[in-house]
Amino acid sequence: MKAIIASCLSLACLAVTMPREAMAQYAGAPRTFLFNPALDVCIRDTRKFKKAPPYVIGFANAGLGDSWRVVGLHSLQKAAHDHADVVKKLLITDAGHDDAKQVADIQDLVSRGVDLLIVSANTSQALDPAVTQATERGIPVVMVDRRVDSDNFVTFVTASDAMMGRLFAQWIVEKLNGKGNVIILGGQAGSSPNENRVKPAMQVFGAYPGIKILDTVYSDWSPVKGKQVMQAMIAKHGRNINAVFAPHGLQVPGAIEAFLEAGWKGSEIPPITSADMNGPMKMAIKNKFPLLDIDYPPAMMGTALDVALKVLSGASVPCVYTINSNIVLTHGDETPSIPKPDMYVEQHVVADGPDDMLVSGGMGPGYNPSTFKIDYPH
Amino acid sequence: MTAIAARLTPPWWLRSNAGLIGVLVLIGAVSIVGATVSDRFLTLGNLLNVYEQTTDLALVSIGQTLTILSGGIDLSVGSLISLTSCLTSGLINGNPDRVLPVVAGVLALGTLVGMINAALVVALRVHPLIVTLGMGAILQGVTLLYALGPVGRVPRSFNVLAYGRIAGIPIGATVALTLCILIALLLRYLPLGRQIYALGDDANSARLVGLRRTRILMFVYGASGFCCAATGLYLAARFGVGQPYTGVNYTLASITPVVLGGTLLSGGRGGVIGTMFGAFLIALLNNLLNFMDVSKHYQLVAQAVIIILAVSIYVERRRME
Repeated sequence: MKAIIASCLSLACLAVTMPREAMAQYAGAPRTFLFNPALDVCIRDTRKFKKAPPYVIGFANAGLGDSWRVVGLHSLQKAAHDHADVVKKLLITDAGHDDAKQVADIQDLVSRGVDLLIVSANTSQALDPAVTQATERGIPVVMVDRRVDSDNFVTFVTASDAMMGRLFAQWIVEKLNGKGNVIILGGQAGSSPNENRVKPAMQVFGAYPGIKILDTVYSDWSPVKGKQVMQAMIAKHGRNINAVFAPHGLQVPGAIEAFLEAGWKGSEIPPITSADMNGPMKMAIKNKFPLLDIDYPPAMMGTALDVALKVLSGASVPCVYTINSNIVLTHGDETPSIPKPDMYVEQHVVADGPDDMLVSGGMGPGYNPSTFKIDYPH
Repeated sequence: MTAIAARLTPPWWLRSNAGLIGVLVLIGAVSIVGATVSDRFLTLGNLLNVYEQTTDLALVSIGQTLTILSGGIDLSVGSLISLTSCLTSGLINGNPDRVLPVVAGVLALGTLVGMINAALVVALRVHPLIVTLGMGAILQGVTLLYALGPVGRVPRSFNVLAYGRIAGIPIGATVALTLCILIALLLRYLPLGRQIYALGDDANSARLVGLRRTRILMFVYGASGFCCAATGLYLAARFGVGQPYTGVNYTLASITPVVLGGTLLSGGRGGVIGTMFGAFLIALLNNLLNFMDVSKHYQLVAQAVIIILAVSIYVERRRME
């Protein structure tokens, strides 16, 4: 009997891990590109950048400082490791979120003779002239996560904030049957990931007169502050809260704790949205409340290197390269707009991983950001 | 014998600035390390890149050298750079026709602010450290009243100041170098130049021999303000936009090349040529650390080590003299 259970469990594990593996291996056009209803999509001809390997690639990073950017950097290093046959060197600079340093970094990388530059711009305006100058000198530039204002680069690797915002909102509307009260648990007021997700969400909410936004509060992407502001909301609105819209998962564990500590039984916790983070998924499995996770994967940094290699091989690329975001849902919370998610939370969660871990880095099982070390060409 | 002695005597620009030897030695040392790290380090392309990156620090430090030589200091430079950089992009706001009047206006404003500093030092009989610190706070406040975030934009043609090259030679850095040479000549050959040294060396004696302190300080702080405005213009071109905190690091950073170049912090000795090399050394060092893949945090440590090293070399030389 034990053996049967064990084999069943291992089969279940296999089934759980397979979709993620399959997705990691997918190297075709991004799904957002395939789904794009526009007839005319900007495509960049890169034949003039075609070069024979091996390549020296430079990465001018805005800085580290939060776990998303750390995982992103690791995914880039892993991509360089995986492509060591064609990547001779990956040179990485860290500007420590200083525009002046990043401008000098870009100039130094060009001076070091890179074949291609990957740039994650600290600010979109101040890095524009430096990126433009590199482009004018004939260096192909691939932007990742944060672009510059002008279009003076080859392509921009990103994920869709708008899709996250709209789908989060639509799912909430459907879970509430078009009628109910929503709290917007924002990140940092005015920051682009916050605004670019909340604004499209409001377009969806606006189409349903039965949906009422009770309050918009900000957590500065922190679980601690997320808990404080949600406690205040619970004190103010009590059981009138029917759903929580969070534009990312960083602050969500704190909000869930606030509900639990206020005496909400697990399944009474209202539908809540999240992204990338392990904690909310673990809590949703344990407490059985509805959770929709749409990732903004730091794996896009690794993708940027794959795209860079495409550019150097002369293959055309979309001007904006929007990577796939996994849509992850709790069981039984399917709605007409999400009849079947890409994965269920059980398939995405790292059950023994810490709450603040990002599960969308594409780093494979056993990955630990604090001990990660990989041998990549540099 | 005299002829031999004359031949052995170093040129004036080296002689008047004993610390210059220290900074040149350090540039040599960094270059040797760089050459072992990468065969691209000592290429003309990279050296021109470093020269280009010297511009902002060189511009502000040239002005700072004058205030220090005169026995004072200018701690309002950072805020003045922020203000002038914001005004440049805010007032031009993408309109190429406004470039010339705004550039002239900003340079005039910088000079005026510097002269107000000097007037306050003379009128209030307060040390320049306090006056310029206060002025810095006022200017930062004014900057934030004008713009809380990035403001305006400059036309593409204006970026030439920061990124443009003629026959491969960076324009901005060459403007800074030209300014440096002009001021070096002024310090050397004009009475005003020698008076700046005299005032910095011993203010009391200078007063006794009848030097016009007000006039000297007006020039020194006016020039420092002018240099800040030039730095503000350069930064607006480099970033394409003015930012209210863009100058904040320059207040202390502007003192480093001065010290590296052998100018005494107590005044009266040194010169702008050394400062120019000092700024080049810092840019070269940052470039080397990038070549060595050293993180930003170690770059700060390395700069501090270089400063202490340079000062100790200088002190050692003085002791031997």
